Amino acid sequence: MATVPVGTALPTASPHPDRALDTRPSVRRRRWSRRRAANAVYWGACAAALAGVAAPVVWVLAGVVNSGLRDWHWSVLTTQTVGTGGGLLNAIAGTLVIVVGVAVIVGIVGIAGGIYLAEFCPEGRGGLLRGGSEILSGAPSIVLGYVGYVTLVVRFHWGFSLAAALAVLSVMVVPYVVKATEVSLRSVPTAYRDGSEALGMPSGYALRRVVLRPALPGIVTGLIVAMAIAVGETAPLLYTAGWSNNLPTAHLFHAPIAYLTYPVWTFYNQPYASAHRLAAVAALLLVVLALLMIVVSRIIVAVTQRHSETSSAPH
Amino acid sequence: MDVIKHTDEVRTPQPSGPTRVSRRLRPVAFGALALTGAVALAACSSSTTAATTTTTKPAAPAVPKIIAPPSSTVALTETGSTLLYPLFNFWAPAYSKLYPNISITTAGTGSGTGIAQAAAGAVDIGASDAYLSSAQVAQNPGLLNIPLAISAQMINYNLPGLSGTLKLSPSVIAQMYTGKITTWNNAAVAAINPGITLPSTPVIPLHRSDGSGDTFIFSQYMAKGDPSVWGANNFGTSIAFPAIPTAVGANGNGGMVSECAKTVGCIAYIGISFKAQTQSANLGEAMIENGTGNYLLPTNATIDAESASFANATPPNGAISMVYSTTAAQGYPIINYEYGIINSKQSSSTTARAIQAFVSWAISPTGGNADSFLSQVGFRPLPAAVVAQSQAQLQTISAS
Amino acid sequence: MTVPVASPGRPVPPAPDGRGPSGPRWDAAPGVIRPRHDTEGMVRWGTRLAALLPGAALVGLAVALLIEALPAIRGNGFGFFTRTTWDPGNFYNPPVVVNGVARPDGASYGAFPLIVGTLASSTIAMVIAVPVAFGTAMIVVHKLPRRLSNTVGMLLEMLAGIPSVVFGLWAALTLGPFLAHHVSPFISRTMPDVPVLRFFKGPVGSGEGLLTSGLVLAVMVVPIIASTTRDLLRQVPRGTQEGAVALGMTDLEVVRSVSIPWVRTGVIGACVLGLGRALGETMAVAMASGTVLGTVPRNVYSTFGSMAGVIVSQLDSALTDATGFAVETLAYLGLVLLAMSLLANIGARLLVRRASTTALPVGRGI
Repeated sequence: MATVPVGTALPTASPHPDRALDTRPSVRRRRWSRRRAANAVYWGACAAALAGVAAPVVWVLAGVVNSGLRDWHWSVLTTQTVGTGGGLLNAIAGTLVIVVGVAVIVGIVGIAGGIYLAEFCPEGRGGLLRGGSEILSGAPSIVLGYVGYVTLVVRFHWGFSLAAALAVLSVMVVPYVVKATEVSLRSVPTAYRDGSEALGMPSGYALRRVVLRPALPGIVTGLIVAMAIAVGETAPLLYTAGWSNNLPTAHLFHAPIAYLTYPVWTFYNQPYASAHRLAAVAALLLVVLALLMIVVSRIIVAVTQRHSETSSAPH
Repeated sequence: MDVIKHTDEVRTPQPSGPTRVSRRLRPVAFGALALTGAVALAACSSSTTAATTTTTKPAAPAVPKIIAPPSSTVALTETGSTLLYPLFNFWAPAYSKLYPNISITTAGTGSGTGIAQAAAGAVDIGASDAYLSSAQVAQNPGLLNIPLAISAQMINYNLPGLSGTLKLSPSVIAQMYTGKITTWNNAAVAAINPGITLPSTPVIPLHRSDGSGDTFIFSQYMAKGDPSVWGANNFGTSIAFPAIPTAVGANGNGGMVSECAKTVGCIAYIGISFKAQTQSANLGEAMIENGTGNYLLPTNATIDAESASFANATPPNGAISMVYSTTAAQGYPIINYEYGIINSKQSSSTTARAIQAFVSWAISPTGGNADSFLSQVGFRPLPAAVVAQSQAQLQTISAS
Repeated sequence: MTVPVASPGRPVPPAPDGRGPSGPRWDAAPGVIRPRHDTEGMVRWGTRLAALLPGAALVGLAVALLIEALPAIRGNGFGFFTRTTWDPGNFYNPPVVVNGVARPDGASYGAFPLIVGTLASSTIAMVIAVPVAFGTAMIVVHKLPRRLSNTVGMLLEMLAGIPSVVFGLWAALTLGPFLAHHVSPFISRTMPDVPVLRFFKGPVGSGEGLLTSGLVLAVMVVPIIASTTRDLLRQVPRGTQEGAVALGMTDLEVVRSVSIPWVRTGVIGACVLGLGRALGETMAVAMASGTVLGTVPRNVYSTFGSMAGVIVSQLDSALTDATGFAVETLAYLGLVLLAMSLLANIGARLLVRRASTTALPVGRGI
């Protein structure tokens, strides 16, 4: 693009002094400074873009923390919601139950699915399965919630229930775990498999004892991401989980369950200061939970990378 | 049927209100005993003690209308109207305090969900701002809509610096919402507001973007007050508001308040529970024209006057819109019953009786309809005749 | 998605024999005792079943939605896409039968304003998000030291991890009023009255509307685009870049002539993926849009309705329609929305799968 074979330019005769052919020193200097300026503008724009990413993070977090802590009482964590006041113990407990339930379901289905795609699926044949899972992750959350409502809650008579909530949320986040598992397993060197095979291990045994182990941090990270998303979802839960002022019960069906995103969406429109406070505190708790999970996943990544670096160093 | 007969007697106006109603209702309670075979006398007396502690009256007269709950532990669930939600949240803990074996879980999901969930048997009580349509009743023959309390609707505006209280008629409001009146100093507005200097601010009509009982009664007010502008048939919980460029939708009553607060020139319809919010947001509250041509604000007296004029017209199933009465001269024209949507066929007699007990307490003037509960949300108690009708509806609840 | 790699720096070799990394069956070797070989078959079939589930769920989702929507498709016809009214009709009058489907008296649904609103807000989001994400990825890869670029990666994960309802609360209570008071009046005043820019003129409203929604959507899709672009840029061969520098190119010229051609397909894929997410986002838009029905937005400050937001805000009142037509119509709307976002998703993945080495992230691109 800017490569000009030396000697082909006619310094004074060029009809287009801006063109690359013009190599008069003054023109080249001017052009160079213009290119430098364009470059500076470019990097300036990039820096502005970075600021454009950082600013909303800071703004949102500051706003959430500020309004959440404005009149913070620890009793929010220990008392149940009474109407639009009280605490959020029921919602915190409900969210934890939902997240643990989702983690169990998705942990089984997602990891198993990822193992199949990475280990058993014949090369070039898993496209449909893999694609199906990836595309599922693009389905709008409200569509999942809607279908959950009309089929599970109404048609199957599950009512507002933990079961309906778990089913819808699990469908929503299972692609994350499938993907994480597959990617982690594929990044385990083939030598591991070859080695265990050379030792005469059955591949199921080798998978469990040799291949899965190095892939585990990645799988756990994917699982944590899935849990973080489950914590923050609203649309799929509004019409499946319902809401309850009480602590979660042992009933899977016909027992509405509380969750933290509900007060944010519902209470900010209520006429009471207590409701607004709960909405603000719930938003704060949601952000803290989500960030906590991200930090945990980061720590897992960091620790395992350091570990694998040191352990591979002697070789 | 036997039950209905008793309550028909009660519907005759009675000056000495509670005493006589309750005495008449005593046979109703015993009728229920015969009907379900479940109300124990012992339980009756236990509710006596409970009620006498809250009221200072020594004798029993007001008591029997409150049915005693079963002695076993029952967990009731309620979901629905976000306007009733705060009231249920005052009711539920108070009732559980009286009867620790009864717990009530409340949720504000919207009236439609309340009705659907009650019809499906997923919740025990659905809360709704609007009564069931005949098509819904035909689909779910067992579903009752039981009036629980009376709410009113304010018409608010945001015109800073305006002195005095604006008067608005259904015709003017309908013309604003259909885009025929575009500025506040329009001649039609000025004609009913002599002495008030109106600004030339553009009118920005706000409406609810979510389906709502507020939209239901507000659209009925215009449909009844000026069918020529608004259309006699143009009412519902979610209607097609005329697409005029300045129209703004808001989510929930809270959204209406905050939207109106930041939009100079807005006009909005807002449930009276939100009165404190509209006042702290400095919104004006309009006096609106009733069916007899008087301009009134929603006060205890004007709401009660309107509800009294509809008390006798209210059918046994409670399905009536109390909008734009042509008989109550001092009646505020946009009020409505708040309904409990309850399936008359319950899965167990214990649940059935727990529902009867709780709702009978909720609608009783010595129970949940007491001013101490209702004033917190700006609601008004049911007229005695309607209490009796609601009681009669409750009696039809039984185990299938 | 950051996935720790067991052995960093080592590329993953493709399976040598086309049968997956498990290679030839262990029991092909003669004389080996076969411990628990039936378990292996069970593991194979069990995992296969699990791998089938997500795809099956997707098909089930679409089928359930289609079945629910069929009466509405018949009742509303294709005029659904062109009509501008959204009138549920009068639920209290006797129902009428139109096109063989019962519906409330006067019911007439048109999704045109919702489709326009959804596309417009997503377009605004993309116009803002793409350059911001690209610039961020650029500066992270080329200018920032490793520690700082890790911090930016953390920022992106935070953006992807903050629940959408929290973004909605922020948009409704903070961003919207801020724009309406301090930004939009200025833009509206100073914009010239020429095509396209004309949409920036006119009444600025109260803060709920296209601009606020577009901005909050942009914030939400930036992580998808930025993290993918960053990963792609890291794969641009160093040698080619250094060669370009050696020819005397400025950074900008290197980017234009080397980096962009290298990452173009992947970045476009990530953008389309982000568009899919913006189209389907529900809570944030429901809280920031004003959710009006039946009105096509007039300028970028207009309140509007998005398809997803309308489903969440109208489902409750739709349930009071005894004929079920309102609920079925929402299913129709959901079907159109699902089709749009899945098409974006499939398109993005096909594009990238054919022409790029980096796979697209799943979902929100954490």
